[in-house]
Amino acid sequence: MGQEACILSRWALILTILLLLTGYSVAWSAVGCDLNDPDRDVARLFPESTGYKTIYTSVVQKGGDPLLTKIETRLGEKFHGIYETIDVPYTVYEIFANKKKVGYIHGVNQKGQFGGIQVFVSLDLEGRIKAFYIQKMTSKYAGKLRDANFGKQFLGLTFKDFDLYDVTSGKATGKVADIKNPAPEAEADFRAALRATKKNLILMDEFVYSSQAGSSNTGAPQK
Amino acid sequence: MITKFQVAYKNLLRKRVRSLLTLVGIALSAWVLVSLLGFNHGYEASLNRDIDNMGFELMLMAKGCPYEAATLMLKGGTGLRYINESFMGDVAKEPEVEKTFPMLMSAVFDPNKGESGGISGYFGVEPKSFAELKPSLKFRQGGWFTDVNAYEAVMGYEAAELEQREVGDKILMPEKNVEFKVVGILNRTGTQDDGTIFVPLKTLQKMFGRPNELTTIGIKLKKGIDSVRFEEKLYKLPDVQVVSLTQVKDTIMGLISTAKVMVLSIAIIAILIAMVGVINTILMSVHERFQEIGILKTIGAMPWDIFKLIWIETLILCAIGGVLGVGLALLLSKATEVLIRYVMPYAPSGGLVLIDLKLVLFTMAVILCIGLVSGLYPAWKAGRIRPLEAIRSNIG
Repeated sequence: MGQEACILSRWALILTILLLLTGYSVAWSAVGCDLNDPDRDVARLFPESTGYKTIYTSVVQKGGDPLLTKIETRLGEKFHGIYETIDVPYTVYEIFANKKKVGYIHGVNQKGQFGGIQVFVSLDLEGRIKAFYIQKMTSKYAGKLRDANFGKQFLGLTFKDFDLYDVTSGKATGKVADIKNPAPEAEADFRAALRATKKNLILMDEFVYSSQAGSSNTGAPQK
Repeated sequence: MITKFQVAYKNLLRKRVRSLLTLVGIALSAWVLVSLLGFNHGYEASLNRDIDNMGFELMLMAKGCPYEAATLMLKGGTGLRYINESFMGDVAKEPEVEKTFPMLMSAVFDPNKGESGGISGYFGVEPKSFAELKPSLKFRQGGWFTDVNAYEAVMGYEAAELEQREVGDKILMPEKNVEFKVVGILNRTGTQDDGTIFVPLKTLQKMFGRPNELTTIGIKLKKGIDSVRFEEKLYKLPDVQVVSLTQVKDTIMGLISTAKVMVLSIAIIAILIAMVGVINTILMSVHERFQEIGILKTIGAMPWDIFKLIWIETLILCAIGGVLGVGLALLLSKATEVLIRYVMPYAPSGGLVLIDLKLVLFTMAVILCIGLVSGLYPAWKAGRIRPLEAIRSNIG
């Protein structure tokens, strides 16, 4: 009994210390992007929903450096700044309608011209945008970019459409090229919103759709 | 040779489910007790640290509700009224005063923050005096403003993180549509400064059309000065009120104490329930082993030996339950903090549940004492079992 108790207590101690350290590291890690009022926002962004589940993940958890490299390659540029890092926590809202999963809501932080921009998309199970929502934006023209008419231009688009958008030059072909900037004076923020959307869709593909399809080579969601 | 501890331990293993349920009861009461005492300790320590970090003992502000204003200030909000800068000169002349610090807090409505907009706060300070006030503030990037009239900003770590700002970037003050250049980003401090945007005092006064006006004057007294007496002296100044941070702390602690009494009552009830559970478990165990105890006595066991055996069983249950409860409290301390922040109208920055070795040892001592007391009756009853009566009976 003595030896067993000793081994058990040692494991309990190690486990406790590990969990405490994890708790502290979470408390001090990079800032994530959550819906301000999930109950209200989920119902608004996914009207047919009856419930949701919150999942927390990060690039470092899902695949570390190789995944980061893959995401950066797909995005077309490196993560930049001191806040766009491998350990940024992401919140994925799994949406349910009568206990059946019907889609996801996911948001990302993006550096804008005058402040952080928080871009959320709600996606169906095939990865198509059902709703586009800029939760926060600081700009003289934020009203135009947060307008519902601007968001409507994103509906139905997938990450494949955004593959044809070059985040460095801001040039696009295909459906993304049709997205009109309602505030030409705020070109930097318009491009930031597009970059955030592309990053958002890539992350969702890597975190959710690819793993569901059982392959992460193409990242294509399976129908 | 088998020891009494081993016998007691094996006895508990005979009815594993019952022993486990009793353990859960003790663990839960220990968890509540540690978390409550940890909160008691942590909340006060964090509040003290928040107040110490302010760097001054007294605040001078325009007449209004001092506690509301002070709480708003602790939360990084806005003061309610303005006072003239000239008061600062008057106060600085007092021999008891070591230094005075001017502060202006302003807030603007940002319609593009969330679904229905939000408030963005700005804190106008003089970089020289503010740096003296808070020597612990260190820069992650850059430094203080280059000019007292500059359109420059220094951001707390969390404010910069939320706004994704780095030195050289610009921020826009909503409502006023005025641009500021970010010249410094502070290291994380764990205080309200992390979420603050600092701008030069003169610039903020100019922007809000409040030249020579302040929301607060911080007063740092010389060492050894009786702040209560000096406070009385300041009351003579017209149209201003004095808020002592000790007074603010006492008021907040007074408000919190009501909540603490309620939670303490719950903890005591939980402990009583656990005690009853322990007594019930051990009594059942004694009852089931009626014949066995009788046999032990016939082969020479004395009442004191039986008493000790049963008592040890109680102690083992309480010791393991206590350890589990303490472990649970440590593991869930962050979640407890989140809950406290959610329900409390004001919670200081930093850790709210502080569990240290002293507290762990104290809780263990309390739980073991409860074990000893709970075990008295069952152990006494077991010690009094008559051997012949026990052997003849059909019980056990």
